[in-house]
Amino acid sequence: MSSEGVSGTETGGGVRFLGVDRDYWRLLIRGAVLLAFTLGIYRFWLLTDIRRFLWSNSEVSGEALEYSGTPQELLIGFMMAIVILVPIYTGFFLAALDLGTLGQLSSGLAFVALAVLGQYAIYRARRYRLTRTVFRGLRFHQEGSAWLYAFWSIFWWTLTILTLGLAYPFQLASLERYKMRKTYYGELAGSFVGSGWRLFLRGLPMWLALFVPLALAVGVAVAEVDVHAIGAAMAAPREGASESGQGGAPPTTQRQAPTPSTNPGSVDSGTPGRSGSGSSSQSNQNNQKDQNNQGTQKYQNLDQAGGVVAFAILMGIVSVLAGVGMFPAFQAMVLRWQLSGVRFGEFALLCKLRTRDIYKAYLRFLGTALIFSVVIAMVGSTGAVIVKAIVGDNLSSGPGQIMITGVLLVLYVISMLGYSTIYRGTVELALWRKGFESLQLSGLSALENVKASGKPASALGEGLVDALHVGGF
Amino acid sequence: MTDITSSVPSVPPVPPPPAAPPSSGAGLYFDGRTSTRHEVTVTLGDGTMRIAGGDGAVLAEWGYNEIEAMAAPEKVLRIGRRHHNHHDLAAPLERLEILDSAFAAEIDRRAEYIDRTGALARHHRNAVVLWTVAATACLVLAAYFAIPALAGRLAPLIPFPIERRLGDTVNVQILATLDKNHSGEAFECGHKLGEVPGRQALDKIMQRLQDAAALGFPLRTIVVRRKEANAITLPGGLIYIFQGAIDKASTPDELAGVISHEMGHAAHHDGTKAVLQSGGLSFLFGMLLGDFVGGGAVVISAKTIMQLTYSREVEAAADAYGAVLMNKAGGDAHGLATFLAKIGGATEPGMTILLDHPLTNARVAAVNKLAAPQDLRPFLTNQEWTALKRMCSG
Repeated sequence: MSSEGVSGTETGGGVRFLGVDRDYWRLLIRGAVLLAFTLGIYRFWLLTDIRRFLWSNSEVSGEALEYSGTPQELLIGFMMAIVILVPIYTGFFLAALDLGTLGQLSSGLAFVALAVLGQYAIYRARRYRLTRTVFRGLRFHQEGSAWLYAFWSIFWWTLTILTLGLAYPFQLASLERYKMRKTYYGELAGSFVGSGWRLFLRGLPMWLALFVPLALAVGVAVAEVDVHAIGAAMAAPREGASESGQGGAPPTTQRQAPTPSTNPGSVDSGTPGRSGSGSSSQSNQNNQKDQNNQGTQKYQNLDQAGGVVAFAILMGIVSVLAGVGMFPAFQAMVLRWQLSGVRFGEFALLCKLRTRDIYKAYLRFLGTALIFSVVIAMVGSTGAVIVKAIVGDNLSSGPGQIMITGVLLVLYVISMLGYSTIYRGTVELALWRKGFESLQLSGLSALENVKASGKPASALGEGLVDALHVGGF
Repeated sequence: MTDITSSVPSVPPVPPPPAAPPSSGAGLYFDGRTSTRHEVTVTLGDGTMRIAGGDGAVLAEWGYNEIEAMAAPEKVLRIGRRHHNHHDLAAPLERLEILDSAFAAEIDRRAEYIDRTGALARHHRNAVVLWTVAATACLVLAAYFAIPALAGRLAPLIPFPIERRLGDTVNVQILATLDKNHSGEAFECGHKLGEVPGRQALDKIMQRLQDAAALGFPLRTIVVRRKEANAITLPGGLIYIFQGAIDKASTPDELAGVISHEMGHAAHHDGTKAVLQSGGLSFLFGMLLGDFVGGGAVVISAKTIMQLTYSREVEAAADAYGAVLMNKAGGDAHGLATFLAKIGGATEPGMTILLDHPLTNARVAAVNKLAAPQDLRPFLTNQEWTALKRMCSG
């Protein structure tokens, strides 16, 4: 292998991202406007523009990547997806009309089928993107079976959900191994060396921060319920003794199924229909006897129950805050791990992405989104004033309703497009840029003199991903 | 940043004669068969450009009309072969990269399909925008005119068993929204012992109206414990009468008027039309709209707007049907008018029934105009009417 022409050194560095933020924003904003006017059909062109920008500006050892896909291919892929999905949707619609077992099962069946199809689509879409990625005159490609990947992926997702996310690192490692082993640069096969255990250990503190508060809340609630039941059972004989003559059933029974014959309270009040809450009628009835004693006990229970609820809510909030607060760190951790595991023969990546860069990106997103929200609110109130001026007070009239719905629709579209544009311009770009810039390459000579291989794949996967809304870019 | 399109080169390292455009220059060439990087000299001939390696061997020769610019960083002109057909897609991805801006500009000038000013791309993009906007307008028009028209034509053609099945499916959702307390059987009036005479009285009215209407398919009526003065008809002839409507009616003819209005909806297959219409809309927009705004919200808004415009005609048609049916059945169609006037005065909070209905005065006038009572026979005896009024009291 010759080392001729490799400008990057064998150790470290070797990457540059040349993209200018302003150019990217211009592309995104123009795209958003056109999306609105074309009811979203422009998305194939916008997506291609975005990829061209990101790929072209990513330079590996002095040579920029090239995205050679076209919007027309994506459009055709989408049409193919419609051809596949329309009969499936129609079938499920007809099945749902069936009132028998089929109808009842149909929504579950549809969920499973579309979940499998979604994973299938993700694999096929990856194949399309790889075969449209050109580096030094060679394209990447991906082999392997998308169906196998889909079933494998669903299996892992099930496991991850059942283990409350503990299996997630192993899922990622397994699926990433499958994908990278089937990925080729020309004839050079890729591989993935990331270890699930390593990610598991790194992610464990985050998992604990998320689930320990929840577990505490659930645990305390369960313990409290038990205490109630035990306490009630133990208190029952004593209460019976103190009530001497009332002859009430044990409180636990009352709580479950108070009936006029066994509930003296209802007999007293003479309303047999009011048997809704056993505890309230119980306290009513006991108020006559020993008001003080029963009252304090009740309030203690209430205090305790209130405390448990407050604690559970607090823990829930802690968990949610932890989840939201840690998400950028989680994302950075996974990205570091994922990129650092990528190999093509001797060629290896090492990702030194800094977590704070991702936090900065999210903060930028929040700040920009806040400003945008203020603008939208101002535009919205102006719109409301205009509608009011036109239709007057007769808001419930036909034209008034139509105008209000119209204004709301326009505001909704503008704000959703705005937020997604801001997200793309801040978080998505930062993930790409920072992820890429933080790479340290080694074994670059492995990329020399690689032979071409692989054929371009169809964009069916991209179309399915788009039609099924399973995301990814 | 250098502007590559500018004809003035920016401080070239080796100054060539400034007047004559460069006819040769340096480049990087990848032959598309291996990833090896070739530093080459590119010589621009009359019809072709020649790419030669360091040893002078010619690596490739491209005609100016065979090449196009590929996606690349801003300062690089990346040239590849144009694809003529599908098979070319699998051809080797030869690439030539030119860094020198003056030389790139000269290639741009000679090659038809290389356009670094972006005019070609802009032209292409404008065409895309123009046609997609036109297609969008077409779709909106289709949603507004074609789908309701199609639904209107198709609904009467659907065989009754299928319509009924459709109604049963819709019914599951309707019941879930109406029966908020999930009381199930107890939500319906007429099952308890004290309510049975009322139910029988209602059946008597139904029998007479159905005999007069001769719909050709059976109807089912269910009275439910809801306070609103309302009634709804589902596909397949299932009519829900709300307790509030029975409470508000002061004569059997008023109640019969409401029922005959609902039978108008059944006869016109309005429920089926609505289902087909909203299904068609969801399909049309849900599929085409990407998830950039969550197509669902747009579809819902579109449906609201359409319902508001179309329901007037639909209700007016049901009113007319109801009035004529009352005439036929020996009832007093003025009953429908008085009932409409009554509920026009006071709406129950939270129900949009009146928003869905044309302005009450116009409806009342239209019904009164059609009302031609002849051969009047009372629907019920006083006793039966009293029982019917108490149908939900048990």
